[in-house]
Amino acid sequence: MFKKYLIVRPSYCFFGLISLTILSPAPAHSASPIHRIISLSPSATEDLFAIGAGSQVIAVDPLSNFPAKAPTSKLDAFNPNVEAIAAYKPDLVVLNSGATKAISIKNALQKLKIRVYFETAPTDMNGAYREISDLGSLTGRKLQAQSLVRSMKMEIKKAIASAKKKNPFSFYHELDDTLYSVTSETFIGKVYKDFNLANIADAAASADSYGYPQLTPEYVVQANPALIFLSDAQYGTNASSVSSRPGWASIKAITGGHVIALPKDIPSRWGPRLVDFYKVVANSIAGVN
Amino acid sequence: MTSDNKNQGVGIGQIWNWQITAACALILIAVAFLAISFGPIHLGFLDIIKTLLGMNGLEGQQRTVLLDLRLPRMILAALVGAALATSGAVYQTVFRNPLADPYLLGAASGAGLGATIAITNAGGNIYGWLPVFSFLGATLAVLTSFFISGKFFAEPNTLLLSGIAVGSFATAVQTYLQQRHSNALRPVYSWILGELTVANWSIISWSSIYIFASLAVLISISKKLDGLLLSDEESFSLGINPNRLRMIAVAAATLATATAVSASGLIGFVGIVVPHLVRGLTHRVTNRSLATIALAGAAFLVLADLGARSILSPAELPIGVITAFVGAPFFLFVLRTRRVSHS
Amino acid sequence: MSKSIKVKDLTVKIGERTILNDITLDIPHGQWTCLVGPNGAGKTTFLKVLLGVREYSGSIQDEGIEVFRNHKRNVAFVPQQPEIPTGMSVAEYVSLGRSKVEGWGVESARSRSFIEEVLIQTQLYGMHERQIAQLSGGEMQRALIARALAQEPELILLDEPTSALDLHHQISVLNNIELLKTEGVTVISTMHDITLAAMYAERIVVMHEGKVLLGGKASDVIHSAELRTAYDNRINVFTLDSGRPVIVARKEEN
Repeated sequence: MFKKYLIVRPSYCFFGLISLTILSPAPAHSASPIHRIISLSPSATEDLFAIGAGSQVIAVDPLSNFPAKAPTSKLDAFNPNVEAIAAYKPDLVVLNSGATKAISIKNALQKLKIRVYFETAPTDMNGAYREISDLGSLTGRKLQAQSLVRSMKMEIKKAIASAKKKNPFSFYHELDDTLYSVTSETFIGKVYKDFNLANIADAAASADSYGYPQLTPEYVVQANPALIFLSDAQYGTNASSVSSRPGWASIKAITGGHVIALPKDIPSRWGPRLVDFYKVVANSIAGVN
Repeated sequence: MTSDNKNQGVGIGQIWNWQITAACALILIAVAFLAISFGPIHLGFLDIIKTLLGMNGLEGQQRTVLLDLRLPRMILAALVGAALATSGAVYQTVFRNPLADPYLLGAASGAGLGATIAITNAGGNIYGWLPVFSFLGATLAVLTSFFISGKFFAEPNTLLLSGIAVGSFATAVQTYLQQRHSNALRPVYSWILGELTVANWSIISWSSIYIFASLAVLISISKKLDGLLLSDEESFSLGINPNRLRMIAVAAATLATATAVSASGLIGFVGIVVPHLVRGLTHRVTNRSLATIALAGAAFLVLADLGARSILSPAELPIGVITAFVGAPFFLFVLRTRRVSHS
Repeated sequence: MSKSIKVKDLTVKIGERTILNDITLDIPHGQWTCLVGPNGAGKTTFLKVLLGVREYSGSIQDEGIEVFRNHKRNVAFVPQQPEIPTGMSVAEYVSLGRSKVEGWGVESARSRSFIEEVLIQTQLYGMHERQIAQLSGGEMQRALIARALAQEPELILLDEPTSALDLHHQISVLNNIELLKTEGVTVISTMHDITLAAMYAERIVVMHEGKVLLGGKASDVIHSAELRTAYDNRINVFTLDSGRPVIVARKEEN
């Protein structure tokens, strides 16, 4: 009798709750499963596939080139055509707030009753982790998201531990051949800061460079960085083209042969391959001395 | 004053035939319907008509696509096309230069500068502030052109030179700002190429008021504008105050241009091509054609926008590319015929 | 209509330069007055002031009203260098004149027949669909006159109406203007060619460096000392057997 009381009553409640949930008009968001995702952000695409939600992705923008099996379409990430998106009949669209008319597009999609995940570029690793767990919740893969975040944190910790030195080396991260760089307040800059590296661009920051100051050749030569990271390697810049720049031959990084061409796309995305970025930096530091 | 040979040959026909205007209106309606009928999502013709007439037509998402995506976009294209074509025609008359366009007095550079300031400072909602800033930029640039033309206020040649000076200055400042905020390059560039991509009813509400107001002013003075094609003394003798008329015309045309630019970015060539098209086909230079030019400009841009979103679907071509594609060869054609007629 | 245009103490300056200096003059209506004088005498400026489009100090009264910005008068202006609109046909150009009479853009049947008559009168009827920009000098001048005639003016101001024309066309244009005058229109023109002026104008006004040296009946002014003074005594005045004066420039000897 006692058991019946303990089991039956709660069971009634439990079943009652379930039926309420099924029968009540649930808001479109919380209950319906998401299995037609359009991702207009290369980083989000990498996240989705890494948490195993790849099968739920029906289309991605042309720049989402990783993993190779992602279904690229012609939907432009910067200037998407709302109607074309709707024609795919998605139930979730991942939209980056940097798209030109992002807010209007979000509004238009919502008017069409399509759910939008409005992604803003994270300012640090926590932001990147948050996006992964958000996507995990949305796609019903919370557990996979959690384990991905855990493994990323572990690998990054390992990489940092293996390379962090007490005496910081100075470095220069190059965005393009007109010498735009990043300061330590940017996402990329923080990655370097984790390694205790000294960023030569920090001193060049001014009120309106917004984290991306433009350096001059004399400045770089004078700062004499021990490491040079090229994120414009995919546009043809490499160690020899850098060392042939007038006055640069004397820079420590060049004489020591520590000019690192960063792999394509990795420094500009905040997905799971950030781990690779950390590893590249760790290996470069290990190479010095 | 009677003469013998009056009754031979055809008499002087009407200078302007209002049937042409009516025909243009019909063309606009046809083109408008075409534009709202095509898109990545298929909507049946009959359903569209039924929905527009308020009967049981499309439902749900299809209805939203028609009424909240395609219809406002088509209407905005029509408004902007009419505004740019009409101001272009008016500027060509005021400056007595068939190659004048609505951006002549620095309006384009001013609007671009305003937009750049908005984009580089807005942080969150860029598109809330952008129309305001680009509107202000365009209007202030034109006002400055007037004021630095000094005591030759409203004299066409001096105005033109001031406009070039103001425009160059604004462009220089804009370039400087873009250098310092390189992350703003893409949004600014995309705005400059012109886009009607996410028109919505709120944009249409304010832009239609300004554009209709300026078109109303311009069409009401359109016949008098013919006087501005003559020298100031000649137009005075025909009953016009040339400076005052020029100012009213330029003010209204600039209002239309500034509104168009702030709603849809810089769309080029419409202001040059459409007036010449209408004048070339009707063999008439009179400004009584302004109403027709407005209708033709609307139809032109609606068609161009249809092209912009259909040619590379689902990607969107910037509409400025389409108008340039049509406009540039046309430009050369106009230059050639001018040379021929003057030789 | 009052009998004359009364000019009193008229002065026009541009910056420091005085273009017209304290002119007092009566120009009678219904007659042809011709302004003569060397370049820089201020003839064109005087015409523009009489039109009402230039500012001035002093007073110019026509029918008791100041002429400045006075749109109640119907004054036609035929400039020496007109602004030629591109792409306009002759008919369209001439019809611009009708705007003074019937308002802008009005194309009544009366207007159209009036334009036809004016075109016939100026021998332009056959080419009314041709582009203005393609007309020869003489044809352009006739188109200007046609437009002025289309206006049905009370007063017509002509700035050097014959200087770009050959002899034949000079005479035909001036004959057209004379026809106007016989219908009561007042004509004021400037002319380089004093012989022609003497042939057609009833009154001649001699101007020199912004001043009026003499104004009066043509026959009197032609033989006056003031005329010679205006041209620094470099002209010769001959009289033909018919009584017509011929004024020519004199070549400096020694």
